[in-house]
Amino acid sequence: MPSASGIEERLASALLAQVRRYAKKAIDPGTVERQGPISTRTREGLAGLGLFGLTIPEEYGGLGLGMKGACDMVAELSAVDRSVAITIGLHAGLGTRGLTELGGEPLRRRFLPELAAGARVGAFAATEPGAGSDLSAIRTTARRVGGGLEIDGEKSFVTNGGFAGLFTVLVRTPDLGGERACSLVCVPREAAGVEVGKEEDKLGIRGSSTVPVYFRGVAADFDQILGEPGKGLDHAHRLLVWGRSLLASGCVGAARAALRASVAHAATRRQFGRPLHDLGAVRASLADMAATVFAMESLVGVVAAVHARGEPVEALASAAKVFCSEGAFEVCDRAVQLHGALGYMEPVGVARMLRDVRVTRIFEGANDVLLVRLGLARLTSRAVEAPEALPEGLHEAQRATSALLARLQDAARSRAAYGVSIVHQQTQLQRIARAEIAVQASKATLRRAARAGREEQAVAAHAVERLTREGAEELDALAGESDREARSRAICQWISGAPFRPRRAEPVTEAGP
Amino acid sequence: MIDPGTRAQTIAVVAEILEIDAQKVRGDQRLREDLGMDSLASLELLSTLGERLDVDFELDDAMGISTVDDACAFVDRLRRAQNGRLHA
Repeated sequence: MPSASGIEERLASALLAQVRRYAKKAIDPGTVERQGPISTRTREGLAGLGLFGLTIPEEYGGLGLGMKGACDMVAELSAVDRSVAITIGLHAGLGTRGLTELGGEPLRRRFLPELAAGARVGAFAATEPGAGSDLSAIRTTARRVGGGLEIDGEKSFVTNGGFAGLFTVLVRTPDLGGERACSLVCVPREAAGVEVGKEEDKLGIRGSSTVPVYFRGVAADFDQILGEPGKGLDHAHRLLVWGRSLLASGCVGAARAALRASVAHAATRRQFGRPLHDLGAVRASLADMAATVFAMESLVGVVAAVHARGEPVEALASAAKVFCSEGAFEVCDRAVQLHGALGYMEPVGVARMLRDVRVTRIFEGANDVLLVRLGLARLTSRAVEAPEALPEGLHEAQRATSALLARLQDAARSRAAYGVSIVHQQTQLQRIARAEIAVQASKATLRRAARAGREEQAVAAHAVERLTREGAEELDALAGESDREARSRAICQWISGAPFRPRRAEPVTEAGP
Repeated sequence: MIDPGTRAQTIAVVAEILEIDAQKVRGDQRLREDLGMDSLASLELLSTLGERLDVDFELDDAMGISTVDDACAFVDRLRRAQNGRLHA
């Protein structure tokens, strides 16, 4: 009898083939973009394939796929159209996982079947005009009124908000804990006092919906609270593991599409009397792109595997989000460059890819802030990382990864000794985080390559060579970071005319890591 | 026992940083669940607290601070240690 994971794999594989056929036939990215938020007809088509039920348990009418299956599906959609992928990814992750994982049974029975069928679309409302990366600064508040709650406030940039039927809302609940206690509350769109604002005019993913949502005296029952009252921030971070992993897989799909377009263009376009791919510089660029995509796929695969084992994956999901969003932007940018002037023209499609992926470095946690968090996580990590047995062809790449990890551990130790004021040395933390991501991506790449054929091992070796080189450069640069920070402060003071107060910050040792 | 002056100072700084009335800050309040601070925001708070009250929090120690009382006790302990060194 096949195992549960085997059945899930077969189901995912069959669905993937259907999604591929449907996307090719029914989704035209140009039309999706021109028409604005994806049409009811397209949503119905996606619902017909079961895509709104990807991660919703079968008992509520969903497919019950785990993170890997959902990531594969989102990557496939993203290769065709990022707006559609973001709509489904947001719904499958942040939009419904709160209810699935933390909601009470009556609430799940009430909403999950409709969400699985696509009759309702899920949205996650956390960001506010005054609270972006710092969610602890939210102002939207649910106060105890009578036997329930009353919600007042405003949320910004709510993905799927224009057609969402259910909002998972991060609110302050001062009557259910301390003054700034936060909770997650599930609010149906039809609740009196919910008002959806105008669609935002965006640089990319123009086929997705992004709106402000206003809550004006919206009544909610206590059983609409998801999880424990007061643990809203913890719950939100837990859900963001889904959000960031699915976002990273969307980046993988976009990068794959950009690579495919570039390979095809380089084979057919002729310059200097021969195809582009006969030129060394073009080949080098294509090889870098392929290596980046390979590493992105590998890291997302590891995140899904760790999540499936039930192990903590928050930091790794953040690392994958940063790595894949930056990787996708780099690959799409190279794709535009390789296409020359044609790449800048909308009908070719790579320009749209570049515009679409730009936002992935910002939402679900801006990369700049995630890097600071990841740097701090490395400083406080006590994890022991054991080397793995790898085929001989990968030994050099493995040695480079181990060497980078050793340097990273030294650099982190020396900065941890600095105490909590290291939190203000953001650029140092970011460099440590970038080296950390390079290590994690290299390890994931090597692990995958160990089971792969010779050609893939060559791609992996290329990826790891670059990752470890760039990781080492980040650590090298730590030595001069205090001087750069002092110069940055002086420059900012000069360009703004305002004094920039230095924080208490003895320079971290200039001896380097 | 925590020095009342240190406790009042610590709570005043916490309230100022969080932009809430000091009267509403209680010792048993948890930084995460009651004051809405995630790990990064907590470290920012402890660092600013350290600057204002002239004490140094080690990262490992900061990881163990989960309530306002923990923070007050930690500041108190550091100050006593500093005074002890001064008078030694």
